[in-house]
Amino acid sequence: MEWLITKWQVLQSVMPFLLDGLLITFEISIIAIVLGSVLGAVLGVLKTLKSRLLSWTINIYLHLFRGTPYLVQLYMVYFVLPSLNISWLQFESYTAAIVSLTLYTASYVTAIVSSAIHAVPHGQEEAARSCGMSKAQALYHIIVPQALKLTVPPMASVYVIVIKSTAVLSVIGLSELTRQGETTILRLPGDTMFIYMAIAAMYFLYCYPVLRFARWAETKLETDN
Amino acid sequence: MSWLYDLINVRLIAEYSGVFLDGIIATVWISLICLILSLFFGVFVALMRMSEKGIIWRTAAAYIQFIRSTPLLIQIYLIYYGLPNLIGNFFDETQTGIIALTIHTTPYMAEILRTGIMSVPRTQTEGAMAVGMNRFQTMYHVILPQAIAKVISPLLGQTVVLLKDTSLLSIIAVFELMGAGLLMFSDTVVATESYLTTAVCYLAIYMMLLIISGIVERKLGGTSAQLA
Repeated sequence: MEWLITKWQVLQSVMPFLLDGLLITFEISIIAIVLGSVLGAVLGVLKTLKSRLLSWTINIYLHLFRGTPYLVQLYMVYFVLPSLNISWLQFESYTAAIVSLTLYTASYVTAIVSSAIHAVPHGQEEAARSCGMSKAQALYHIIVPQALKLTVPPMASVYVIVIKSTAVLSVIGLSELTRQGETTILRLPGDTMFIYMAIAAMYFLYCYPVLRFARWAETKLETDN
Repeated sequence: MSWLYDLINVRLIAEYSGVFLDGIIATVWISLICLILSLFFGVFVALMRMSEKGIIWRTAAAYIQFIRSTPLLIQIYLIYYGLPNLIGNFFDETQTGIIALTIHTTPYMAEILRTGIMSVPRTQTEGAMAVGMNRFQTMYHVILPQAIAKVISPLLGQTVVLLKDTSLLSIIAVFELMGAGLLMFSDTVVATESYLTTAVCYLAIYMMLLIISGIVERKLGGTSAQLA
């Protein structure tokens, strides 16, 4: 009982700090997923076009971002780009976080979008073209709307990956949830485990519904087909 | 080419080539140990998930949900600060890192294995039982060999993820490839050479895995692996 009361007091004192961090985590993950989805959707569509050079270039980008840890990508954006002495590449940590996480997200989204477009039966495009639509019209009116449904479950899984990746941003001093936890622990070293458990619980509350949604969307897609 | 020499100090990288080589070896070693351990424990967690819905099934499900819904970095911290409270300072940083990564990777492996095992038709089990094998023999001689062919490409994908995940161990002062980059940066304060070399080394390991998965795919005649 004694123990419970002290823990409750600790929780009360650290909660405002942690919630500030959760807000930043929330903000950055939303921004990265929105920007990354737009960029990824564009690249995904471009990848399905018949251009050798385009798909080759996009594949190089995908391999670069799939073959290196996000931590390395973050250091590249945060330390290397500013050292090139180009004025618009002088990032502070917030911008570096957004830029690197957006590129990272887009690499997942590109693969999802292009494989979803490939999954739409080829006859659909042929039918659209034979009705006199241009390539762009066929994409916009016929193919993309059908592909969009297929992207929902994997996109939800990517969103979870993005949320979890924001924890890495603590290494460049961005005051998101993990970083706020580290700062709090400096003040209360005796409660290290308790505070990290509280943080894990907060991440869990943010991620788990999204995971459940992904699974629900997947089963719904299967029953629809 | 001269602009490239202005941009990248090749001599400096050459000076640290030994450190990076050690980093590559450490990363590959850690990944390999975690891969073997997480596959080993993954089989058990997969079997727990396939048991009747009871306390065992619930435990496995809760474990998987927790790992999937929390960041790896937090899991590493929990093990790093929590393990000494439980068993004392029994393990060093690297061993602690390996334990944390194994705990993190096991559920992912379990899910991959479970999907593979479920894809083997029930009649195979029935047939094996009919010729007098017990549950364990059936699993070992009949089910697993067939499941392995199905799980090989998602498994390679997860191996790439594991390889990238090892980089987070640098945060708890484990020496591996990312640590090699950080070491060079703290010595020389040149970001470009330090982190570019780190990235290239990771890409080199990734390419090796791509080639390996290509060979495996051709042997099995399956669809191309979706890595990472």
